[in-house]
Amino acid sequence: MDTLDTHNNKKLAQVSKEPQRLNKAQIAELEKVQSISKIIYNQFKEHKAAVIGAYTILFFVLVALSAPIVEKVMGVNAENQNVFHRYEPPFTTISAGTDTRENEVRKYIEENPESAAIVQAELIKEEFVTVSRPEDALYEWARFEKRKAMAAIRLLSIDQDIKTDLRNVAKKFEIYHLFGTDELGRDVLMRLIYGTQVSMGVGILVALSSALIGLLIGAIAGYYGGFIDTMLMRITDALLSLPTIPVLIVVAAIDLQKVPVLASLLSHGSESILKLIFILCIFSWMPVARLVRGSILTLREREFILASKTLGATDFTIITRHMFPNVIAPLLVSVTLGVGESILFEAALSFLGLGIQPPTPSWGNMLFNAQELIYRAPFLAILPGLLILFVTISFNYVGDGLQDAIDPKTIKR
Amino acid sequence: MPGDPVELMISANPKITAADVARLRSFYGLDQPIYERYFNWVSDIAKGELGYSRTYRIPVTEMMGPALTSTFVLSTVSLAFSLLVAIPLGILCALKPNSRVDYVVNLFNFAGISVPSFWLGIVLIIIFAVKLQWLPAGGYQTTGVEYETLMEEILDKAAYLILPVISLSIQSIGRFSRFTRSAMLEAMRNDFIRTARAKGLASNIVIWKHGFRNALIPLITVVALSISSIFSGALITETLFAYPGVGRLIYSSIIGNDFNVAMVSFIISVSMVLLMNLVADLLYGVVDPRVSYN
Repeated sequence: MDTLDTHNNKKLAQVSKEPQRLNKAQIAELEKVQSISKIIYNQFKEHKAAVIGAYTILFFVLVALSAPIVEKVMGVNAENQNVFHRYEPPFTTISAGTDTRENEVRKYIEENPESAAIVQAELIKEEFVTVSRPEDALYEWARFEKRKAMAAIRLLSIDQDIKTDLRNVAKKFEIYHLFGTDELGRDVLMRLIYGTQVSMGVGILVALSSALIGLLIGAIAGYYGGFIDTMLMRITDALLSLPTIPVLIVVAAIDLQKVPVLASLLSHGSESILKLIFILCIFSWMPVARLVRGSILTLREREFILASKTLGATDFTIITRHMFPNVIAPLLVSVTLGVGESILFEAALSFLGLGIQPPTPSWGNMLFNAQELIYRAPFLAILPGLLILFVTISFNYVGDGLQDAIDPKTIKR
Repeated sequence: MPGDPVELMISANPKITAADVARLRSFYGLDQPIYERYFNWVSDIAKGELGYSRTYRIPVTEMMGPALTSTFVLSTVSLAFSLLVAIPLGILCALKPNSRVDYVVNLFNFAGISVPSFWLGIVLIIIFAVKLQWLPAGGYQTTGVEYETLMEEILDKAAYLILPVISLSIQSIGRFSRFTRSAMLEAMRNDFIRTARAKGLASNIVIWKHGFRNALIPLITVVALSISSIFSGALITETLFAYPGVGRLIYSSIIGNDFNVAMVSFIISVSMVLLMNLVADLLYGVVDPRVSYN
């Protein structure tokens, strides 16, 4: 509590220099003891770049989670392919393929058969379309350009409600691609957003689970010491000294379907994601384990641990109730930094074609697809990389900010 | 990486009979239990028999030599380059902490740590090879050129090295520069720095001889640990720039099921990293006389 008191006293001293006097409520506010999380929070806010980073991450998370909404607003479908419009540059509007249009019209006719019949009769009466069978009138209308189709609706003498419905159908005749299209004519914006879900999801999951593994191993090694410590730490050292990317590639190249036990456990769709998370976890828990072991080693000698031992607490209680709260702050930093690193590794592996397998989009495998086309469509290669850069730099800044915030040397009082 | 080599032969040759398969399996020793196969392989490696490449039909030893040289050149050049850039940057920041220069360099460092090196490579290719056409997009040397002088050869190969070295160094520049800054800040806070200044030494001597020498110790640890990551990164960079080093060999042999090449190049790359770690450990003693290895 010593530091907290000086903190408040200093603040009081500063305040008392000012001419106007404080009212009682403000003094009470200043005298209140600040919790450690509050101090860390206040300290974190001082680090401008970290705060910007935190908002960037929040923004990306929100965008990733609102993928279905964006899909609806932009009027695009993430999985629709269009071979006639591949590698379109950003900000292009293309007219949809015949099958998309006919699907929309069919859906409309199925949902509103009565009004569809009226429209078909009107279309033929006004001689906008010439068809042998009246049922084909709407399909024939669907072949118009969007503007022409809209104009035709305006001239028809039908109810306003039906006109609105038809306009909604006609809107689908054109697709606006904010970031252009990729090698299969898919919308790059939607691919990027779904890629954000995958890449950030993998990054966060890997960081969290490797932190858990590291916490467990580090705690056991630090608390029990002796032979267990030596053995666990030698394993950690051995894994740390391996060159990461070559090892990851070798492990990623193993086909898990060939391993009899795992084949039944893994469903086919998410296999590559689960496998990637698993592989990255195996090779990223070591720094956490070292960090936790170091903290636990010093904690072990402290009086409060002796006190709880004297009171008859079990090892489990001592480790989880008394030691873990003391390592959470540095752990948080290393998880945050770990997310950025895992995103980079995921991207690197997917970039080499060994990570997340298409059609599931991730930033890495979008780059993998794009690298062969840099002459024709350079933007395809630039966009996913920019997102990786933004997200990783944000996580690194947040980690740096947290590090400064929990470091007692840098806390300003 | 599916199955064993015999399965690949089966898929390559539909006319193969069951008897042939059994014969092939016993010929390659694949019918023996796994531990026996492992010991056979280890003793072959120890004897220097590295086997043949499945794809290129030449002994692995012949492929390893040139690949190792290329990777060694690439890694060393990029390590030297990143140290040459990072140390002055870090010292500059440490001498003027919280100045505008410090903030700009700090942003650059963070960008360097966060940027995926392969993406940077792609961007560099787009800018310098596709748009400006100043530098070659990939490869090792201009094909079909006879070098008349040594200088000509070096200049030609250097042009091919520039882009890979930049994309490989950017991450280590960021890391080294951040570390130099904090180590240097710590070192300049020592009392003997004040003493050195007080006795009227030139500031260059204070910075380099008194400050930097002490900042070197933590720096060496980071540099040593980074050698492994530079080596790992070289794999992606080499693949991207079609540079014929060990990294690309590992990648292409794994993708192409070239077992002997994959295992040997993997062993070599791991042992190179371990060797570098040992060298770094020994270097402590050179830099800091307080460390002894008795």
